[in-house]
Amino acid sequence: MIPRSFEYSAPGTLDEAVALLQKLGSDAKILSGGQSLIPMMKLRLASPPHIVDINRIPGLDYITEKDGFLRIGALVRESDLERSELVRSRFPILVDTTSVIADPLVRNQATVCGNLAHGDPANDHPATMLALGAIVVAVGPRGERDVPVENFFPALFTTALEADEILREIKIPIPPPSTGGAYLKLERKVGDYATAGVAVQITLNNSGACTAAAGIGLTNVGFTPIKAVKAEAFVKGKQLDQAAVKQASEIAAGESHPVDDIRGPADYKRDLVRVLTARAIVRALERVKGGV
Amino acid sequence: MSNGSQGNGKPLKVIGKPFRKVDARAKCTGQTLFADDIVLPRMLFAKLLRSHVPHAFIKRIDVSRALSLAGVVAVITGKDLPIPYGILPVSQDEHTLCIDKVRFIGDPVAAIAAVDEDTAFEALSLIDVEYEQLDTIGSIEEALSKNEPRIHDYGDEGNIHKKVHLEFGSVEEGFAEADLIREDVFFYEGNTHLPMEQHAALARFDADNKLTLWSSTQTPHYVHRALARVLEISPSHVRVIATPNGGGFGGKSDPFNHEIAVCKLSRITGRPVKITLTREEVFYCHRGRHPVLMKVKTGVKKDGAITAMDFQSFLDGGAYGSYGVASTFYTGALQTVTYQIPRYRFRGLRAFTNKAPCGPKRGHGTPQPRFALEIQIDKIADELGLDPAEMRRKHLVPPNSLTANYLRVGSMGLDACIEKVVDASGWKEKFKRLPYGRGIGLACGSYLSGAGLPIYWNNMPHSGVQLRLDRQGGVCVMCGSTDIGQGSDSILAYIVAEVLGIDPFDIRVITADTDLTPVDLGSYSSRVTLMTGNAALQAAERARELLTLAVAEKLNAPIENITFAERRAFDVEHPEIGVGFAQAVELAEAKFGTIGTVGSYTPPPSAAQFKGGGVGPSPAYSYSAAIAEVAVDPDTGITKVEQIWIAHDVGQAINPVLVMGQVEGSVYMGLGEALMEDMAYRGKRNLVHKFPSLLEYKSPTTLEMCDVKTFLIQERDSAGPFGAKEVGQGPLLPIPPVIANAIYDAVGVRVDEVPITPEKVLAGIRAGAHGKEARYGPSSAPEITWPEALHVATPAEGGDGRAVPRDVVHK
Ligand SMILES: Cc1cc2nc3c(=O)[nH]c(=O)nc-3n(C[C@H](O)[C@H](O)[C@H](O)COP(=O)(O)OP(=O)(O)OC[C@H]3O[C@@H](n4cnc5c(N)ncnc54)[C@H](O)[C@@H]3O)c2cc1C
Repeated sequence: MIPRSFEYSAPGTLDEAVALLQKLGSDAKILSGGQSLIPMMKLRLASPPHIVDINRIPGLDYITEKDGFLRIGALVRESDLERSELVRSRFPILVDTTSVIADPLVRNQATVCGNLAHGDPANDHPATMLALGAIVVAVGPRGERDVPVENFFPALFTTALEADEILREIKIPIPPPSTGGAYLKLERKVGDYATAGVAVQITLNNSGACTAAAGIGLTNVGFTPIKAVKAEAFVKGKQLDQAAVKQASEIAAGESHPVDDIRGPADYKRDLVRVLTARAIVRALERVKGGV
Repeated sequence: MSNGSQGNGKPLKVIGKPFRKVDARAKCTGQTLFADDIVLPRMLFAKLLRSHVPHAFIKRIDVSRALSLAGVVAVITGKDLPIPYGILPVSQDEHTLCIDKVRFIGDPVAAIAAVDEDTAFEALSLIDVEYEQLDTIGSIEEALSKNEPRIHDYGDEGNIHKKVHLEFGSVEEGFAEADLIREDVFFYEGNTHLPMEQHAALARFDADNKLTLWSSTQTPHYVHRALARVLEISPSHVRVIATPNGGGFGGKSDPFNHEIAVCKLSRITGRPVKITLTREEVFYCHRGRHPVLMKVKTGVKKDGAITAMDFQSFLDGGAYGSYGVASTFYTGALQTVTYQIPRYRFRGLRAFTNKAPCGPKRGHGTPQPRFALEIQIDKIADELGLDPAEMRRKHLVPPNSLTANYLRVGSMGLDACIEKVVDASGWKEKFKRLPYGRGIGLACGSYLSGAGLPIYWNNMPHSGVQLRLDRQGGVCVMCGSTDIGQGSDSILAYIVAEVLGIDPFDIRVITADTDLTPVDLGSYSSRVTLMTGNAALQAAERARELLTLAVAEKLNAPIENITFAERRAFDVEHPEIGVGFAQAVELAEAKFGTIGTVGSYTPPPSAAQFKGGGVGPSPAYSYSAAIAEVAVDPDTGITKVEQIWIAHDVGQAINPVLVMGQVEGSVYMGLGEALMEDMAYRGKRNLVHKFPSLLEYKSPTTLEMCDVKTFLIQERDSAGPFGAKEVGQGPLLPIPPVIANAIYDAVGVRVDEVPITPEKVLAGIRAGAHGKEARYGPSSAPEITWPEALHVATPAEGGDGRAVPRDVVHK
């Protein structure tokens, strides 16, 4: 199908982009990787009158560690994340996540920030960012602000961004030692959105118990990405033996709100959350111990 | 007729060798012209407005706003093309554009021609259609329970399109002899062809008002017929050229509304008109696999010998007839050609529903019953404590025999197929011996090498070939067959090259053009290699005869000594004495005048002389056996197919690489049907296709594809050219049941339906854990009144292939 016609601007700086967005208001849509926006326009599920392409803005494709945070700039592609030595060595959970998104062709274009900005509960990064306690940096006419990712997804396909704000950066706290994380996703076939996905990040204290930093995020089992707060609270301070893992996974499953759809019946998906949570915790524990 | 001829008995130079395809270079370098690639001066672009409601009367259509949009040249609606059509003479139930009623979401109601695609697309939203919605029929059960509203005003009754009932021998007597009787119910979900190329067509009326249509169709001959009739022009003024198909799989075998619409628009506007369907529209064209519910009752002796089988099938046909009557018979036809079934009853029903029309997809109506049969055989072996491979091998249909339903089996390589995969897979060490979660299964299949009867019954050949030889040594083969990627153009070249002793790439192949080439019925029912191959063989042998006479005279050598090889004709006893091929043609032309020969092929008469016996007979049957090894995750129900071993009896591989390609492609397609593909609809009332897109309609990728070990069994069949049988469809048949059987071996769960999605496997595991039957699938089939059976005495009972008259049956 053919998208409706639209105006197109490609600002050269963030300031220019913000000014344009402010002027155009809700008429404008930001284009980054285009891997969600263009298909929607092609199917005419979205027909924005004006496209503001941020791809020409220099200096937004960084992955760096600074002031206790891993920082991912707005134009970092999924494939950059996969290839980054920093990410590979410190955040295997991010490699887990990016490597199960779509296919290599999509990943060469799609941005990590766009993955959050799209607000799709089927996207994979939101759950991981929830587990990691990430912070979204938004820039707009009123300057910059930090939004904790747990406040970033208020409703279906909605984010905390204003129409004139750009998601400039994702900040992820550098984890303390004895931390491990994993993201597991089940899909009908390679390249599909998740039937269910679970991200787990845990840090153990000296006695081997889970610290307060535990994070558990769920993909595509509700209208928004879900932070499994009860399961998180449960694991805090616990030795994660088999019984605790089992119980935590059952609590997480209880926090999911899947619906029947083409990916399967709700009950089946709830079951998957349970199975995946248990497996992700086990994988995370292995990684605490230096496993891969 | 020179069926099964092998030339002069000299060693084969081309046949059986892995030559590249004659069109491979063009395909690989992007030079092949598909229908959408063709551009003509002053060409317009067409779009169809399709119904967004599933079942409704059309109260009013107003096209005036669309017509007044700048760039729109013509708009037509149903009343412009009042003559109905349909692929089968008994189901002429389609209109190019719906006249008073729409029957599914996607049914076209208007067509627009505009200066470009964007304008045509914009104009669609300017056509005002007022619908009066009707209640919908969404399933077989609903069609059975609701006679009103009727989707069509023809058919057997209410929303039942067709009901059939055939009985071969006394089935009750057969069951009385059985030691074990099993009754099982199965469901096979519908799925679609998914060709890479979307359908496209381009029409042009020339200065003499003659029509040419270029179209990605598998059946130019039938499109030709439909165009002449619907457009009311002389067939001799219609030329249909089938462009190379970017995949067909049966999805381009009907005459389609878009093809007729562009012709009409071209006639009105006096300009060429092109249409290329969107992927979404391809899902609406469909004609794919029928969803089929099946109930199978089989009686066996303790050693697994079948004493009788009673097979019922219920087909969800969608909104139109298409090939459906044939599909219905096919769900009951080929059960008998693998394991001996001495007495057999078949009851089949096809329902109309308000969904995209079903039709022929690779295997046409036979993968569904094969799925049921092969799983039931597995269950029987399990219950009798027999090895399913051994049990099958003990009761195979013998070669050169006649089945209970009068199908004549010629060569039969299934025993060799089973043996091959059993040995290669380590079956004996693995079956029932792998750890929980891993399993191995076996299934078989068989398919026709071409339907024995044409769609329009007549006594003319099914396939014709003309061969033209020119004095430069050029050879041109002309044949109506359509290359849909399977390699049929290449087969023509290989066979002619073999007979004339030249290189396949010396030959020009002109195909699928109703003006230039003699009729071939089309690329369906796996008929092309056998039928066009025999026709080509005959034409080539006739040409060789002429050349032989001229060369023998020139060389002063005995006629029977003249041999053709290496682009030469020579005396086999004095190979140095000979002439080049071009000179041989010159000599023949000087002696006989212009050299052109013809060949044709008509299948042998069928033994099945009863009504309904037109479906099933074939000159030859191919056989396949497959073994799959799977790993099932008992926590998630996810099945990973790790390896497939498949052996296929192809008679003789004309080109082994092309044969292997078809086998692997069939395995791939079968895996999609087995595990994920699903032509599913949203909502019970509002029957919207759930995912008419490649993003959501799931089909395996290279990453899901398992390793396949292919073995070719070559039991030459006297009916085929050089002994060749089909390979395009048969190897798909064992795949869905082989996966189901392997899953049973892995986790003890019977999934009696496809697609076998993880949640179904998991539900079966759960049921087993709760002490229930570890099974997922339909629990029952509808109890309905069937028409009285047409009784046919079996060959063993002394029958003659005709139905026993009613009064005799009732005595
Ligand atoms: C075939 C296919 C399969 C896919 N499968 C998956 C999958 O399995 N898992 C998964 O997670 N994703 C999947 N995706 C989605 C993909 O990851 C998208 O790229 C991602 O959701 C959006 O990123 P983008 O950079 O392409 O954003 P775009 O498409 O450019 O934009 C998406 C939305 O976000 C807004 N936006 C983008 N960037 C910013 C920004 N910096 N600030 C503010 N707003 C912004 C846009 O205005 C738009 O509304 C798939 C996509 C395709 C085409």
